[in-house]
Formats: sequence, structure tokens, C-alpha cells
Amino acid sequence: MTEQVEIAVVGAGPGGLCAALAAAQTGAQVALIDNNRNPGGQYYRQTARGFRGEPSSHQREGAALLQQVIAAGARIIAETNVWGAFDDKVLALNDGAATTYLQARAIILATGAYDRPVAFPGWTLPGAMTAGAVQTLLKEQRILPGKRFLLAGMGPLQLVLAAELARAGAQVVAVLEGSRVFPRVLEHAGALWGQWARLSEGLSSWLTLARHRIPYRAGWGIVAAEGAKQVEQATIARLDENWRPIRGSEEKIACDTIALGYGFIPFNTLSRLLGAKQEWRPELGGEVPMRDAQMQTSASGVYAVGDCAGIGGAALARIEGQIAGIASAAQLGHGTADAIPARASALARERRFQQMYAALFTPGAGLYELSQDDTILCRCEEITQADVRRALALGADTTNEVKLITRGGMGDCQGRMCAHLIANFIARETGRSVAQVGILPPRPPIFPIPITALGVTR
Amino acid sequence: MNGQRTIGAEAVVIGGGIVGCASAYYLARRGVKVALIEKATIGGEASGRNGGGVRQQCRDRRERPFAIASVKLWEGLPAELGFDIEYVRGGNIRMATNDARMELLRREGAEELEDGLQVEMWDRDELRRRAPYLGEVFIGAKYCATDGAANPILVTKAFGWAAQRLGATILTRTEVVGISIEGARVASVTGRDKDGELVVEAPWVINAAGPWSAALSHAIGVEVPVEPARSVIAIVQRCAPLFREFISSHDLGVYARQAREGQVHVGGTNVPAHTFDQRAPADVLEHLARGAAEMIPALRGANFLRSWAGTLEMTPDKVPILGHVDGVKGYILATGFSGHGFCLGPIAGKLVSELVVDGAPSLSLHEFRLARFA
Repeated sequence: MTEQVEIAVVGAGPGGLCAALAAAQTGAQVALIDNNRNPGGQYYRQTARGFRGEPSSHQREGAALLQQVIAAGARIIAETNVWGAFDDKVLALNDGAATTYLQARAIILATGAYDRPVAFPGWTLPGAMTAGAVQTLLKEQRILPGKRFLLAGMGPLQLVLAAELARAGAQVVAVLEGSRVFPRVLEHAGALWGQWARLSEGLSSWLTLARHRIPYRAGWGIVAAEGAKQVEQATIARLDENWRPIRGSEEKIACDTIALGYGFIPFNTLSRLLGAKQEWRPELGGEVPMRDAQMQTSASGVYAVGDCAGIGGAALARIEGQIAGIASAAQLGHGTADAIPARASALARERRFQQMYAALFTPGAGLYELSQDDTILCRCEEITQADVRRALALGADTTNEVKLITRGGMGDCQGRMCAHLIANFIARETGRSVAQVGILPPRPPIFPIPITALGVTR
Repeated sequence: MNGQRTIGAEAVVIGGGIVGCASAYYLARRGVKVALIEKATIGGEASGRNGGGVRQQCRDRRERPFAIASVKLWEGLPAELGFDIEYVRGGNIRMATNDARMELLRREGAEELEDGLQVEMWDRDELRRRAPYLGEVFIGAKYCATDGAANPILVTKAFGWAAQRLGATILTRTEVVGISIEGARVASVTGRDKDGELVVEAPWVINAAGPWSAALSHAIGVEVPVEPARSVIAIVQRCAPLFREFISSHDLGVYARQAREGQVHVGGTNVPAHTFDQRAPADVLEHLARGAAEMIPALRGANFLRSWAGTLEMTPDKVPILGHVDGVKGYILATGFSGHGFCLGPIAGKLVSELVVDGAPSLSLHEFRLARFA
């Protein structure tokens, strides 16, 4: 059976919550779908029930926003995956027990992003994980997955994570920042005007780092992880401006956990399935849907907000969410779009910050050159760089062709981990861009769904 | 790039599916200078998007000798093509959930034995003993031990690579824009790639373009009655080895095989939708999920990981069109395989090479002639 709803919002992070709130406040009928037990997304990620701990300011803000969304009349559909999108704006939902279909007159996608994977010798050792995973464990279940952390990556989120880890009692051996951020941030100082919350959070994280004497090394990056059964040490190096390790600068650093925070990749699978035209924007994280000023994609009635349409952070996601919520409701005859211009200055401010962030924190080509021929690029199917090289020698020249020959990208991660690694390797080997090489086409179900649940319709 | 490029050949094959690639391979092996034109990539359509079954049993009687002959070729392919195509003779089980189906299988089995194909009838007990992983719903089955399966993606590509090694020219991402006739004979095929047009001149043109063969043929006044049909396959994530047979039930409307790496491929046996649309619809995925869970109860705890669809080409009587075309000399149709092209691909390719080189094929193509639809 297919249920009808006026506006379906997918993803309950900052963008989705604000979209749902703005739309519901106009009187539109709104359903907000999220695959976590507690809405909030990564930014507002709530502590799971049964785990103690004082909520952070982000968690309180997220919980309050959720209450507003509920009070405005939006229906929250939690712990539910959207595993497919079909013609006439039909979304296929699954809660692990059964499939339901939701047909919307407008869809607002706020599906966020996932951590950019980076392959280097040793990256599949236990103990090497994404910064997002470390943060999820920390926020949701108050778990420290290690004792001695090395943070390697880029951007201010690393500072936040380092501070959170230090406050939770972990030892942070170093924070490696790939970008040579300090001379360059001055060129963009103007974009920091008005970013008081961010500056204050940055300052507070900075002070925590100083208090715990955590070394912060700008222009440094990870090169390799080593250990018998799990990470025991890392090789790090100074990077040149293309993020290539400078020979001779290598150092060994002892640690048991490496948190990799090299930015994010927009999760644009649903907008692709819904037929929205995409463009390649490396500074926004990769492939993103093209949008108009009201956040509508080329697929009529399909909107995309926040990181799934280009990495921009929570504040930008909130404003984009509000605009899409108001615009989609107005299109259906609820309220007017008059409230959108009032958001223009906030939107411009966040876009300036986004541009600054992109200018400072778009990784250089060297990040994708750390892998060696025996390095695994597709961990689900255990496909090495050499396997990919052999497929290229057989004539494959796209990520999809390499997948067909090697199985790289066919595993449980559905390409989220490996497709970009393989695409970057092919691009580098064939002298083309990642956009030309392509990433994998979406193939529903876009999340693994139990066959018993997929076969049961409610 | 400006200017027209011209390639001279003795035969040109249109379509880089298994039938086209096998044709190019067997032609090249016979010393024919052959070019193959493919609109996208080798094995990118139905040849690489099917269940991978290599089956002789449960076929139309007209097709049976071809399937038997093809399986003989399959046996030698891994060595001949020099590539691990994951070909396994794990057997084929066609199950029944009711007496009427069982009776149909029994009659078919008798005919198959008459035609020289060894099959076994299994009652409920035998089925439990031989295939304990199957659901309680089945009351019996027919089994063919010499049937099997292969990796459909790799087989077609391996044929292409092997043809290339023998000197065939493979032109991918090249769309055919026209076939020229001079006098009453084919003269050339014009294709277009990113650099512009190119002409392959050859006295033989083999149309192996599957669902796209009709439009190409129509342009030279030859009507080919094939319709596109969408076939969907869903993948169950890797699990421990459960079964090695290719299994199917027309009562449940599903078939399955477990790939070497452990994933279970589940497809439908129902008459597919007549469309070029290659998106997998939700109701088909639901059907495959229900069918898989009932057919193989051990899969109930597993996940579907992805799905895909391919476009088959169906003839009105569901058997291929293979052979010369009256009135157009040098034009050979190798199309209309109606979902059976994967198993039949090698023999079809070999017969094409015989038509070109020997003038007469080693198996009579009378039943597959286009004129049967006139």
C-alpha cells in the first residue's frame, strides 16, 4: 500500500529538521524520515537511551528543534531507511520489519554526507577509522574506541573531535592538519565575520588542546599505519602544497587509534535515483545535485538541502532547509515564499564561509596517492590497487567497468567506501578527472535490507 | 576530428554482447578479418546482466540441440579464452510445487532423454536428500547434472578480449548509424564515436544487437519481430556456501544461483515488462525477496544488497532468429534470443562463423529463420 503525504523530508539532521519545521509551520502535511533511533543527524547526534552523560549544547539544541518540529505537526518516522525512490515521487521505506511506500507531492532530501575514505598502507587495520565513526561512538554511546588517538585530516572538526576526546579522557598524540591553514586563513578572514558561534567553539576547542598539550601540526598528514594485529604506530609526513608527503620528513608516532577526518562526500544517491541532474564540484565534496535558488533540483518538486547538496556544515543546512521547507509548502499552496528573501543575508554569510572552508580544506591530489599496489581499495571484496591496475590493462576505463571486472564496489558498503578510492586511482592512472571516470550508478536497495523485510509490505 | 575514417574488414559484427563477441571470436579464429561495433561497452547490456545460467534442460525442443552443442563448447571456454570465467557445472534443478507442474516436468524429461539429454526426476524425498536447502513447498524436481553457470560479466568480456588477441577490431562506445547495401548485398556499416563517423566496409554484416537489432534492421527494410523486455536481478549479500546448482521454480516465479564469492543472485521467471527502462521497480524487488525467502529459507536472515535490470529481446515464439535474410546477401541476423542468449551465445557465434566461412552451418538453422514469422 502507498501512503500519501504532501512533503516528505528525508534525513533529520539540521537541514531536515529545519525543512520539516518550516514546512509544517505553514500547515503543510509533513513526514520526516530518519534511519537513526533518535533524530538529529551527525551534528545533533543524541546520546542513546541507557547511556548517561550531560547533553552537550549541540544535543540540547537538536532536542529542542525536534520538539518544535513535533509541535508543528510533522510526523516523525524514525529508525527507517529510505531504500529506493521511484517514479511519481514514491519513496520505499523499510524499518527492518516491513516495506512501506510513501508518495509525496514534494520531497526534501537532507541526507547529509559520509566521511571521505582515504586508502594508505595499513588503513584497513583495526584501529584505523573515520573521524565520524569515532564521534558517533563518543556522542551516542560514550564509547572511546581506543586510548591513544592520532587525528589525521583537515578542517576545524578535527579540533572539535580532539577536544571531545581529551575531555572524555583519551590521549590525543597529535592532530595532523593537511592544509597549511595558518598563512592562508588570513586571506579569507572576511568570511569569518559573523561566525561567532563557530569562532567561539573553535577557540574553546583550541584552549582544550592547549590545556592537554595536544600537538597541532598544520601541513602534515598520514602516510601509513603499522601494527601486527591492530594499529600500533603511524608514519606521518610533512606535505607539499599538493598534499604529497615530502621525502625525508617522515616520522613514526605511536598510537592505537587513527581517526581520519579528511572531510566528507555528499550522500547524493537519492537525488540521483530521483533523476536530479548532478554536477562535479570537488570543492563541495564531489558530485552534487544542481539546484535553483529555492533548493529545488532539476527534478521538479525534489529539493536538496545541506551537505547532501554540497558540504557546507550545519548552519548552512539549517538555512537551506528553511528555504526548501517554505518553498515546497508554498508550491503546494501553503503559505507564501515571501519569507525566503529574509534569509538571503544569512545564506550569503554561510555561503561565504563555505567558500572559505572549500578554499582551505579541499584535499590535494597527494591524498589519493598514498595507496600502494598491495593496498586494498575495496575492503568488502578485498580488491587491491593491483587488481584495479590489471582491470585497466584489460581495457576498463571507468569505475563501473572496473567494478564489473574486479568486483570492487559490489560489496556490503555499496560503494560508499571504495568507489571514490577506485575512481581517484583510475583518474590518476588514465590522466582524466574523477568526473570523467564516473562513480557507481545507484542500485536500489541503497541500504542493505533484510529480504524478509523487503518482501513484506505493510 | 574531421573527415571520415574507413576500416576495411571481411565481416562486421554489430553488438558487443555474448552473441556478437562470440561471433567475432569464432570468425577471428577462422582467420576472418572482423570488426565489432558496440554502442557502449562489451557485455554491458543483457549479456552481463543475466542470471548466468548455462542450461540445456527445460528448453523449447527446437532450441535443445543448440543448447547441448553450446554446453560442449562451454566446457572448453575457460582454457580457450584464457580467463577464469567462473564456469561451474553444478547442475540445474527445476522444482515443482504441484502435481500439474510435476507432470509437465516428467513429460519434458522423457522428451529430453529421447533427444539425448540426461536428466533425472526427483521425488520429494530425493529432492530433500539432494537439495536440503530448498523450501518445504517443493514436491519434486527435474535435474540436469551437466548444466551449470558462469559469471556473465566476465564471459562476454573474455570473448571480446580473446577475439582481440586473434586480431579482431573491437570498437566500443561507437553507435551504428546505418547499414549500406550495394546491389543486393551489404557493403558497409557506419558508426559514430566521440571523434565522428567511421565506416567499416565488409561483405558480411552480423546483426547481434539484441533489443536494438530491430531498429537497425528496419532501416534497411528488414523487419525483425523482437520486443524489448526488462529482466531484474537482485543480489543477496555474501553468505556461506549454500548451494552449487542453478535452481528455479516457475510456480514461485524465481530462479537463483550462488556466485563463487558467496552472493546469491535472484531473478524472476515471469514474463518481463516490455520496456527499455532499466530501473528495477519496487514490486519486482518485493517479488524476488518473497520468492527467495520461500525457495531458500536459509536466506531469510540475509540482506538484499542491490539490484539491476537488463533488456532482453523477445521473439513471438521465444526462440532465436539466426541465419541469412532473404533478399539481403551477406546480412546475418543473430538476435531474438529471448533470454536464452547467454547459454546459446557460444554456439550462435560458432554457427555465424560457419555461415560466413563454410557457407553451411553444422546445425540446421531452419527453425530459427526469420521467414517463420512471415
